[in-house]
Amino acid sequence: MNKYFKGPIILICRILLGGIFIYASLDKIAHPAEFAKAIGNYHVLPFGLENLLALTLPWLELLAGVALITGVMIDGAAIMVIIMNIIFIFAISQALARGISIECGCFSVTTEGGDNIGLQTVIRDIGYLIMGFIVLYRRDNLFEFYPKSV
Amino acid sequence: MIEYNRPIHQAAIFLVLSSLIGFGSNLVRTDSIPWIAPKLEAVESIDLSSTEPVLVAISLDQAKEFFDNGVLFLDARDEGYYEAGHIKDAMRNGFLMELVFNIEEKQSKNDPLVVYCGDPGCGDSEDLAYDLKESGFMQLYVFKGGWVEWSEASYPSEVGQ
Repeated sequence: MNKYFKGPIILICRILLGGIFIYASLDKIAHPAEFAKAIGNYHVLPFGLENLLALTLPWLELLAGVALITGVMIDGAAIMVIIMNIIFIFAISQALARGISIECGCFSVTTEGGDNIGLQTVIRDIGYLIMGFIVLYRRDNLFEFYPKSV
Repeated sequence: MIEYNRPIHQAAIFLVLSSLIGFGSNLVRTDSIPWIAPKLEAVESIDLSSTEPVLVAISLDQAKEFFDNGVLFLDARDEGYYEAGHIKDAMRNGFLMELVFNIEEKQSKNDPLVVYCGDPGCGDSEDLAYDLKESGFMQLYVFKGGWVEWSEASYPSEVGQ
């Protein structure tokens, strides 16, 4: 794998992304039914399947976030962060393209009207996506503990 | 064979672990949800005189019959969808307790309610119906076809708040 990025930006991206993903997972883990509703609002999954995603996605966010901060399996965590953000960007964009206004369900799934989707949500997720790529294509391996990547 | 230093293998480990923890924790928690949301039972005939709690799915024709008889409709979609178009006189409130209060200003908990959302694939109407059932409402009818079937049939509708 070609590596391009080095310096403190790697550590900054890891801590920021890790913290954001851990924070984003907590309310969803605590309220799976509400998160399933939030997923349903996007109308991208057949009815019923949003429950499967509501049960697994928050834990994936939590594990990836913890891994990025603690320096364990960072490459895998970065890949999952990139995949999740591509899915989020697609889901939000298709909702915006259809001209509908719904709650993001990105960080909190139990408060109404606080976090509606918009262009700013897409830009924010593109920012997270770029940070994910910076971590994945890093040259420095500072504070990485297990395992050393190939 | 798993090679822990291969990025794609690590990603797979994250997927497997999160699935195991997610499904596992759902087995033991008190507010667990089904892995796949179950489908609601549909009825062919409706008995409004029944005193038993009712929570069933209804067709477009049955929904129109309820509408013509002045039954209160509840829109379970998000605000943006509702404002873009909804069944005429349908009520919407994202806060359950406020919605319950609004309904009780108009009718008792024993009177019928029709709940709908966007299309047959959405689950918000069922979710809301179950919430209302827990709040003590007795006759809940989920119009599965929702806004899509209703608007395609050109039945009475309106836009805005």
